[in-house]
Amino acid sequence: MSDTDQMTDGTELRELRDSLSAVAMPERPRLEAITARGRARRRRRLSGAAGLSVAGIAAGTALALGTTGAVGPAPVHGTIRTLAPGTIRNAAFKIVKNANDKATLTINPQEFLDPATLQSDLAEYGIPAKVTSGSFCSSDPAPAGFSQVVSLPPRAAPVTPQSGVQPTITFNPAAMPAGTELSIGYFQLTSGGQQASFALIDTNSYSCTSTTPGPAGPPDGSQLVYGGPGQAGPDQQP
Amino acid sequence: MSNDETAFAEFFQESWDPCLRAVAASTGDMLLAEDQVAEAFARAWVSWRKVSRHPAPRAWVVRTALNAGASWWRRRARELPLADHDVAAPGGPGTGLDSVVLSALRRLPARQREVIVLRVFLDLDIETTARQLAIAPGTVRAHLSRAVTALRNELAQANTTEADPCPTPTR
Repeated sequence: MSDTDQMTDGTELRELRDSLSAVAMPERPRLEAITARGRARRRRRLSGAAGLSVAGIAAGTALALGTTGAVGPAPVHGTIRTLAPGTIRNAAFKIVKNANDKATLTINPQEFLDPATLQSDLAEYGIPAKVTSGSFCSSDPAPAGFSQVVSLPPRAAPVTPQSGVQPTITFNPAAMPAGTELSIGYFQLTSGGQQASFALIDTNSYSCTSTTPGPAGPPDGSQLVYGGPGQAGPDQQP
Repeated sequence: MSNDETAFAEFFQESWDPCLRAVAASTGDMLLAEDQVAEAFARAWVSWRKVSRHPAPRAWVVRTALNAGASWWRRRARELPLADHDVAAPGGPGTGLDSVVLSALRRLPARQREVIVLRVFLDLDIETTARQLAIAPGTVRAHLSRAVTALRNELAQANTTEADPCPTPTR
């Protein structure tokens, strides 16, 4: 055994190996999801879909948009299902369908969230939503029943990069009145944080504005501020 | 299931965790590492005939995952040139990768970190590590030696800070 080989058994490298062994590993994806992803990749390469001719760019693009590429037999909008059925996950967010038919969205504050991806993924869970970035849509008057549709984390929970907290929002699509959809507007704050505003809108009558709802949040809606240095936590209304 | 499919299934089953650990240690972001490793395994599946004959298939997966990650970062840097607040910090929320040693690992120069990842987390020998990185075995030893020294210093410093965060001035 060489000196270097002996070194790999040294304290530092043992600690290194042990510290990662102690980390809880996420669930291994299903093999079918991986092979389906491979087949989808091969199809894209063969067909030159979306004008991409270099292998890997498709996945990179999807990742840049907060998605992870098409996986599964029926890929929709580049969504991945590498985990248990009922779960959508990518670098920016995760959606889990709960047993009570509610869906929980967990946001990774450190990743860029693509509004179009979130909108299409929410739609897959039966949550009609208009997700916008830099603008917010609302109806006047707002449809009733918002508080039955959206649950935000309690105000006391700090949602900063330092806290390690990832904000979670629970949606109850069954409680959405007919003819309504959810409006989710993302704003990049000058503090470096992000603001997500939520409201119910009338599908046939709403308007959008690039003005943020302000710190008080939209009337008859809720607001979450997260990810910035020193953010106190989510601001919830009413 | 064909022989190829069976072989890939076994490889995937046995190699997912070690590969994910290696990539997560290198990137510091478990969520991102998960995506990258899934993509790398998907590519391995597409090219399984080639990958199965590779001298170190796990190393192929790890390198592919890290390359996919590098492409993503490059692309995102072009798309969001001003959004530096969006860049994930190593060991960020939810990654569980916040130990002192892993933080020290991520401060190593890229080549030293690659050597550690292949040598320690994938348990490749010096010769195979050298072939994977297209460098000489002696260079692998040198990188490993420097990496160990750097880690030792980082850990010693961290232990000192932890033991006595506010040292009392001596008279």
